[in-house]
Amino acid sequence: MRTSKKGAVGRVVLTAVAVIVSLAFLLPVLWLLASTFRTATETFASSSPLSWHALWPQHFTLDNLRSTVDSGFLVALRNSVVVAAATVVGGLAVSACAAFALAVIPFRGRSAIFTIVVLSFLVPFEAIAIPLSRSFSDWGLTNTLIALILPGLGNGLAVFTLRQFFLGIPRSLSEAAHLDGAGWFRIFWSVYLPLTRPALIGAGLILFLFQWQAYLWPILVTSTASLDLAPVAIAKSFGAFSTDYGRVFAETAILAVIPAIVLLSLQRYFVTSVASTGSKE
Amino acid sequence: MTAVPGTLPPRATPDDQPRPGPRPRSRTTYRNRVAAAVFLIPTILLIVVLRIVPMASAVADSTRSGLPGSLAEPKFVGLDVFREMFASAQFWNTVRQTLVFNVIVNPLQIFLALLLAVLLTQAIPWRGLWRTVLFLPAAVPLAGSTIVWGIALRPDGPVNGLLELVGIPSQPWFTSPDQVIASLIVLASWIGIGYWMMFLIAGLNDIPPVYYEAARIDGAGALRTFFSITLPMLRRPLLFVLVADTVSNFVLFAPVQILTGGGPESRSNFLMYDIFHRSYELSDPYQASAELVVLLVLMIAIVAVQFRLLRSEDGDE
Repeated sequence: MRTSKKGAVGRVVLTAVAVIVSLAFLLPVLWLLASTFRTATETFASSSPLSWHALWPQHFTLDNLRSTVDSGFLVALRNSVVVAAATVVGGLAVSACAAFALAVIPFRGRSAIFTIVVLSFLVPFEAIAIPLSRSFSDWGLTNTLIALILPGLGNGLAVFTLRQFFLGIPRSLSEAAHLDGAGWFRIFWSVYLPLTRPALIGAGLILFLFQWQAYLWPILVTSTASLDLAPVAIAKSFGAFSTDYGRVFAETAILAVIPAIVLLSLQRYFVTSVASTGSKE
Repeated sequence: MTAVPGTLPPRATPDDQPRPGPRPRSRTTYRNRVAAAVFLIPTILLIVVLRIVPMASAVADSTRSGLPGSLAEPKFVGLDVFREMFASAQFWNTVRQTLVFNVIVNPLQIFLALLLAVLLTQAIPWRGLWRTVLFLPAAVPLAGSTIVWGIALRPDGPVNGLLELVGIPSQPWFTSPDQVIASLIVLASWIGIGYWMMFLIAGLNDIPPVYYEAARIDGAGALRTFFSITLPMLRRPLLFVLVADTVSNFVLFAPVQILTGGGPESRSNFLMYDIFHRSYELSDPYQASAELVVLLVLMIAIVAVQFRLLRSEDGDE
């Protein structure tokens, strides 16, 4: 049949486009991984003139990873993990409470408070980071873990996606619990939270990504190397080792692999929470 | 910056009207109010500490001035700092370069994200895999992708190697005043396209399939279907990603600070970087505060426009 043949050709063309575009996006990642396992000299020798070896090390070596470990990058990595984990736990607690009040508890002015929460977090954090860092130094919080964690706790998107999810839970559940004499906290803890696992994972991912990316804020509020987060540490070694990029590649690869694994294994939760930003509810 | 998820689409929800609780008595109302306050206290405190205090101090700082490096308390000078700033060619260069970058990068990213979202919602093999691959760059922290692209775009890097392979001479990229913005657009788009594509795919999946069936029965072609069904039904997610992308690109910082330092010839001296640079490297916190107020006003204007657009759309329904 004419139409189905045309459809089949169209599908092949679309698939080919998808493959080519995906490869183009993937190449920098493959090049980064390959360069992690070879000397910087070989990296540049293979790229100018360009050969297939740009994507596959000829002389496989672990020297870059070894020098990364020796240089104390693991301390920065540990700082990043601690800060991100604390942000996810604390941020989920804060956002889930707010989302519950804004979705479930009826009170006057709820819509106004929701608007205020949304509008204030729409202003990007970077825009107010510089004046905020001055206040943090006045409050004696410079060079503390708390200073690194605190800004990640308030995340509008996390509040928003959790609230959307709570709105979808049938009211009859909380009303039945109410009749049984349960207070709001009991309803929140025993009725809503157990049903909210997918949305909590999605919101947790949003909180995690924000902190794992953090760069401007850490350089504003920390000055001791022992408190450097991983992105700051790699930017420093990039500045310091402008001739030998091997270690920089290795550090960047480690920094990227962790969120990639987390994100890829939890991708569907991210997609679900993202979906709520466009829904009509 | 990558598209850090720090923004969200506001909208009026029909659900916001207080509903009568299970026991509509004034004691219940009072108890609800107390419970809501307890649940909201941490968020309200964070808003005050992380948003309102720094905005107020930025406004306050911008009305003061003093000699750079002087230990004397800065004096209140009203709008003098702004007057001086608005008269400075450097400031207008910063504003112009920020706008040039944003006017190109945001529509470009969203247009390509839309094309790919439509492509990857078609029935093609392994589309989940292609989505994941395109999303992958968003998982790489911005400082990391900045460094990878910074090295990849070096004169002896693989991108120039590829160009030479197809007979195009090696390009200067980040080191050329004429190419620095284009280079930053490549970097930002590598990250942003796949990220925003995910939001648009979610939006596309929300379009009820009956519309497409109806279009097919009416004999509408692919283009016609796209313009009469997909695009109008996708208006809300498109608006959301366009504004969220704009907000995040307005505060793009790490690539400028790590790779260009605002140069060459101040072509990449965007507002966000200039504020940082003046505060910490030029010891001119006064004009930096004034510029920050300009940035905040721009951000709030963009956010307000988004809020209005989404509101009025709700009103239509």
